[in-house]
Amino acid sequence: MFLLRRRALPPAPLPWRRRARSDGTAPRWDVVVIGGGHAGTEAAAAAARSGVRTLLVTHKADTIGQMSCNPSFGGIGKGHLMREVDALDGLCARICDQSGVHYKVLNRCKGPAVWGLRAQIDRKLYKENMQKEILNTPLLTVHEASVEDLLLMEPEPDRPGKCQVSGVILGDGSRVHAGSVILTTGTFLRGVVFIGLKTHPAGRLGDQPSIGLAQTLEKLGFAVGRLKTGTPPRLAKDSIDFSVLERHMADNPPVPFSFLSEAVWIKPEDQLSCYRTLTNAKVEQIIHDSLHLNNHVRETTRGPRYCPSLESKVLRFPNRIHQLWLEPEGLDSNVIYPQGMSMTLPPELQEQVIACIHGLEKAKMMQPGYGVQYDFLDPRQLSASLESRLVQRLFFAGQINGTTGYEEAAAQGVIAGINAGLRVGGKPPFIISRTEGYIGVLIDDLTTLGTNEPYRMFTSRVEFRMSLRPDNADSRLTLRGFEEAGCVSQQRYAQASQMKAAIEEAIAVLKSLQFTATKWSRLVPEAPISTNRSSLASALDILQYPEVTMELLARAIPEPLRKFAECRELAERLKIEAVYEWHVASQQQEIEEVRRDEALQLPEDLDYFAIDASLSQEVREKLDSNRPQTIGAVSRIPGITPAAIVNLLRFVKTNRQRTEHIEHSRTGRPLPEGNMLGKSKFQNSSLSCAS
Amino acid sequence: MWPGTWRKLLAALNPVSGAALRAVKWLHCPAGKRDTIFALSSGHGKCGVAVVRTSGPASGAALRSLTGQQELPRPRAVALRRIHDPSSAETLDRGLVIWFPGPHSFTGEDCSELHVHGGPAVVGGVLQALGRLPGLRPADPGEFTKRAFQNGKLGLTEVEGLGDLIHAETEAQRRQALRQMEGELGQLYQRWSEELTKALAHVEAFIDFSEDDNLEEGVLAQVDAAVRTLEEEVSGHLQDGRRGERLRGGVHVVIAGPTNAGKSSLLNLLCQRPAAIVSPIAGTTRDVVESALNIGGYPVVLSDTAGLRETQDVVEREGVSRARERLQRADVVLAVLAAVDVDPEPRRFADALRAVLPPGPPAQRAPCILVLNKADLLEEGCGGALLGACGEGALPPTCLLSCKTGEGVDSLLSLLGTQLEQMCGDPLAGSPSLTQARHRLHLTSCLGSLGRYHGYKSLDLVLAAEELRLARRHLGKITGRVSAEEILDIVFRDFCVGK
Repeated sequence: MFLLRRRALPPAPLPWRRRARSDGTAPRWDVVVIGGGHAGTEAAAAAARSGVRTLLVTHKADTIGQMSCNPSFGGIGKGHLMREVDALDGLCARICDQSGVHYKVLNRCKGPAVWGLRAQIDRKLYKENMQKEILNTPLLTVHEASVEDLLLMEPEPDRPGKCQVSGVILGDGSRVHAGSVILTTGTFLRGVVFIGLKTHPAGRLGDQPSIGLAQTLEKLGFAVGRLKTGTPPRLAKDSIDFSVLERHMADNPPVPFSFLSEAVWIKPEDQLSCYRTLTNAKVEQIIHDSLHLNNHVRETTRGPRYCPSLESKVLRFPNRIHQLWLEPEGLDSNVIYPQGMSMTLPPELQEQVIACIHGLEKAKMMQPGYGVQYDFLDPRQLSASLESRLVQRLFFAGQINGTTGYEEAAAQGVIAGINAGLRVGGKPPFIISRTEGYIGVLIDDLTTLGTNEPYRMFTSRVEFRMSLRPDNADSRLTLRGFEEAGCVSQQRYAQASQMKAAIEEAIAVLKSLQFTATKWSRLVPEAPISTNRSSLASALDILQYPEVTMELLARAIPEPLRKFAECRELAERLKIEAVYEWHVASQQQEIEEVRRDEALQLPEDLDYFAIDASLSQEVREKLDSNRPQTIGAVSRIPGITPAAIVNLLRFVKTNRQRTEHIEHSRTGRPLPEGNMLGKSKFQNSSLSCAS
Repeated sequence: MWPGTWRKLLAALNPVSGAALRAVKWLHCPAGKRDTIFALSSGHGKCGVAVVRTSGPASGAALRSLTGQQELPRPRAVALRRIHDPSSAETLDRGLVIWFPGPHSFTGEDCSELHVHGGPAVVGGVLQALGRLPGLRPADPGEFTKRAFQNGKLGLTEVEGLGDLIHAETEAQRRQALRQMEGELGQLYQRWSEELTKALAHVEAFIDFSEDDNLEEGVLAQVDAAVRTLEEEVSGHLQDGRRGERLRGGVHVVIAGPTNAGKSSLLNLLCQRPAAIVSPIAGTTRDVVESALNIGGYPVVLSDTAGLRETQDVVEREGVSRARERLQRADVVLAVLAAVDVDPEPRRFADALRAVLPPGPPAQRAPCILVLNKADLLEEGCGGALLGACGEGALPPTCLLSCKTGEGVDSLLSLLGTQLEQMCGDPLAGSPSLTQARHRLHLTSCLGSLGRYHGYKSLDLVLAAEELRLARRHLGKITGRVSAEEILDIVFRDFCVGK
């Protein structure tokens, strides 16, 4: 066993270990994470942060923290996820602040709720920094091995699942026991690489696909789907004529991703630029003429609609010019990543395409683009904690759940890591609701609706976009993460609590400062305040005007506002709070409604084919395959008619009332709100009528 | 000793886990099979043919026992059968029966219809016979519809249309209700919904795909134009003079005028019953007396009000104030004056009339019909002169009648019918009208949000998009929700996005 960390295997038995296990000699861990990609690293680090002994098993320790596709992090929606991962003390945001070469906030002109933090990242630095971080995380050990199979045992009673995982079998046949196992194997399950007409089995180029594990999952009855994705060719920087291309500069000053970073590592002026070029009719012609040589494009497997290959762009939107972005891969790297040029043509044709693009006439292709097809697990088989319902204590996170993107993977990793740890300690799961974060939307969408294309985060998926902003992710999640999951450091918790208290205090003060419009227009002449208005306006109202900032207000009313304007971050956050204050307040009722629906939990093992509610066969099938956990989730399943929801709701309500009534008459205590509704096992008569 | 044992018993019982308890409860759940319901569904009162309907699992058995035949008729085909009371074997009627096996029936359950002769004895006999069968019970109001809804047979607008159909008491109402059920109103809302969804999707695309992406120029300008068109259409629809609502609730026709002009007599004449007390004493009517009637196929709520005059009597003063209040809300005013009291000089005539009408400029006032009562008291030949004078002075349409003799009532009814048709429209022509105040409410909110969209657009696109989301949600309360995935479908259909 090759251990990267020279550390004795932890012997201390936790309560769960006292139970009889098949093999007394094998090493035991609380959480074993399989895979060292973006989901795996975050999962392992989150589990370790929350205080459980964690083992990260990866094929090649050197690939930990590898950015396998684009050299960038963040964007619109994705930047939101990173801020939330950071709020839970996750890694990627901090590592990006130490490794970026071009930071840019997207959507600056569209409202702070949808600002998209994004950066070009130096691949090498990111990997180095991530490995440093992982190797220095207390309670986390890295082990280089392949995982061939899962160790399984009898399930715990009273929970869904046909068995429970108790560890993994490694490539050398050795066994590793674990309280929970997290699978983050990305595209490695039956991955096939496509270049032109050639295919070969693999995960990422040069890696081995996991066949044994895939077979085990299949044998266990996991429903599997197939997806495809692709990556563009890489170009040599010194062979590109940048002088003829449109240059795009980074932000100055760069905005860091993490709540903990005051600034990013790089000097603003040292940042690299990106360049833009365009496709043309010749590109389209080559692609059309060579479709017969392009297996990947002709396959019917679903690919992403929003990160399409050049071929599918040309086919779906013909006679148009498409943008291509030339992105640096690192400070001292000679590699350029042509974003938007994902192709699976035979390499010589890829070179032809490249050569007819402006600025790339002489560009050297260092590596051809290729396509990947891979298995993913239908995420509807998971509960909101990302634990599978089929196999207890087995968690899934990342691309294996049908998502695309580093940020989506990282977000799931954090949640799976936290919950795998909590599961070992017998604590309730840590769930983020749709009303609390983009992570909640991501996981609820996946586990309730599933996906038929690589799932990517968009702000349009988020109902409460005005409340779930990048600026307030810490107020939403850091406190909960510290208190309920124990995955947040004391320092971050203190910082987030202080900020939250300061914002609350400042808003109370701003609301209490009320003057007439006439007085306000004298105090803040910059604001176009209508003096017709008869009612008093508060300082918070005035702060909503685009022309007004906290600095301006503090100059007008130094006491008591000066202290709130002194801290730049606080001042900026107050301005954003003011802009959305009215809408957020009016949306509160709706948020409450969603929470009420989410509090109406459905029993996990409800037999939808047997229950006595007026539901069509089609609806029953949908409910059975989606296994919604709450009435709220039911309402988001497409094709479920309002009538079906009413009927299910009636069924659930009647049963809850009955349950509560009997519970109450039995114990004299009503059930707490949001309790699990009646168990559905009619047949379970062994529990016979004691009453 | 005993109480101690009891406590121990309780203690032993308490730790039983919630899960076990709940499992026990499930065993106690009754199978809860649905009742079979029946009702007379063709309206009460005398009619040629009455239709009795059943819905539920026992429908087939009920049909078998009432027809005395083991064979059910061919599904959805009319069959002539002798209908008898199974308990006495007495023949009740010979009628048509139809068998609608579920799920292809109106409620989605097994249904049957019995078309029998409309006499009360026959209908009563059939209903009693059904009520004696096991598993059958009379339906609650609206229960057929509710079952259809629960079984996914009807969407929301369809259910409302159907509700109207059940309550349709007049021909015009029935036609409108039918039209709504066939989905014309639904189609109009659906089209708006699609346009709004597309506009929203384009704004969402503009937010989710940034400057770097390949969104075509002018996306937002197109959205602005689409939103403005939608605003115009919705507000036009809302300004159709409350047509649909009027039709559904009845047009409010208010009889007003000075005391002792014969207002209550007019009400009684129009209702053909003594609904209001009449007497020669001025100020007899002190409260508002309402009566529902059908004029030319349109539902009308006719109100008689206290005579308008200054008075010291506290009760009468309250009556006058109620009368004025009612006048404010009237859809049509019947201004009644006693023909004998009218001065044919046009200016004074107009003054007398103005005292009766609700205040405000004529354009904003409810339409009015001038009724000159007590024509029987006029001297021979005076009536023509009076009507001629009315025609000159730009006065409302006028008719001369006598409540006492009934002379001239036809001309009033025809004037009123024309007025109603103008206000309610022919329910079979033009834009389908609003039939529900609920629709109006959501459409108004939708319109408000569309208006605010323009205001927020330059300030913060997220707030502007939120207004479109809100507008979409209000419309969705009528037409059904649109999921985020459907929005994304439009985005990826209309734009080549993603780097």
